[in-house]
Amino acid sequence: MKILIAEDETLIRLDLRGILERNGFSVCAEAKDGLEAVELARSTEPDAALLDVRMPQLDGIEAARRIYAERPIPIVMLTAFRDRATVEKAVAAGVFGYLLKPFREGDVAPALYAAAARHRELLAARRRLGADPPRRIEVTLGRKWPVQIERGEDGSLDVRVTP
Amino acid sequence: MKVLIAEDETLIRLDLRGMLESAGLEVCAEARDGVEAVELAETAEPDIAVLDVKMPRLDGIEAARRILDERPMPIVIVSAFTEQSLVRRAAEAGVYGYLAKPFREEDLLPAIATARARFDQLAAVREQVDSLAEALAARKAIERAKGLLMDAQGLSEQDAFARLRRASQSSGRPMRVIAEAIIETLSQ
Repeated sequence: MKILIAEDETLIRLDLRGILERNGFSVCAEAKDGLEAVELARSTEPDAALLDVRMPQLDGIEAARRIYAERPIPIVMLTAFRDRATVEKAVAAGVFGYLLKPFREGDVAPALYAAAARHRELLAARRRLGADPPRRIEVTLGRKWPVQIERGEDGSLDVRVTP
Repeated sequence: MKVLIAEDETLIRLDLRGMLESAGLEVCAEARDGVEAVELAETAEPDIAVLDVKMPRLDGIEAARRILDERPMPIVIVSAFTEQSLVRRAAEAGVYGYLAKPFREEDLLPAIATARARFDQLAAVREQVDSLAEALAARKAIERAKGLLMDAQGLSEQDAFARLRRASQSSGRPMRVIAEAIIETLSQ
C-alpha cells in the first residue's frame, strides 16, 4: 500500500516514514504542508494518506477535503489536537481515522488497515449506485427545465431544478 | 450514543466505562467474553461496540464478525496485540478502528467519532442501493404487468398503465404489489 504523508516537522516525518516502512507500507510522497499534500496526492496517486492537522499554507483537514474530492482515498489524521471541534471538522471532511500525537508505532498500521478496508467497502457500495451523474441535464416536462444534479459525499443525490 | 464494551479484565473494563461515561456516552452493556458480547449486541441494542481481542470463549475479532452479521454497527477493537495478521483479520471482519493498548481517553473518542460517521455514511449509501434495486424491480414488474394487461384485454399502453394506477390508488397498495398480483394472475 502506497502512503502519502504530510507533516511539517521533519523529525516526525522521518519517524513516520520509518514506522510505515517497517510495517510493510511504502511511502510514495512526503509533503511538508497542506498544499504540497494536495499536489502530491494528485501526482503520486497514493492508496492512503496520513495527514497532520496544523501545517503551513493549508491545514490538514482542508487538504483532506480537497484530496478526497479529487480522488477518494482513505485518510487518517495524525495530530496533537484533541478537542472535539477539530475532531468533528475532520470527521465532516470524511477522514477514516484520527490518531493523536504523541503516537506509538503500534497505532499507525492498524489505523491504516482498518481505514483502507472500510473505504473499499464504501467505494464498492457507491459503484453499485452507479457512476457519478451528469452535472447538468435538461428534462422535458411540458417545457424544458434545466436540472442540476450533484452526488453528495455520502453518495446521495442532490437534485435542483433551476427555472 | 449507547456503547457495548467487551473486555475480560475487570479493571480495564471499569476504566473503559469511566472514559466513555466522562465523554458523555452511555455504556449499555458490559461483556466479559466474546460470546457474551455477541448476545449483548443483540439484546442491549448498542449503537457502537468497543471490543478487546483476547477474551475467553470467543475472541473479539470473531465476535465482531458475528455482530456485524446479525446487527451491523460500528466496531472499534482495543488490544495490546497489534501484529499484522491480527490487524488484517480485524480489518477483514469489518471493524472501523483498532487501538493499541494501553490507550488514553483522548485516543478512544476520535476513534469512536470516525467509526460512527463512516459507518453511517456507508449505511446511507447501502440504503440508496437497496431503494434503487427496489425501484428497478418495481419498474420491471410494472412494465411486465402492463404488457400482460395489453395482451389480455386489448388495451393501449396508456390505458393499461392508467388501470394499474387506479388499482393502486383505490386499494392503497403500491403499484409494484398490484403489478405482481396481475403478473401472478395473468401469466398462468
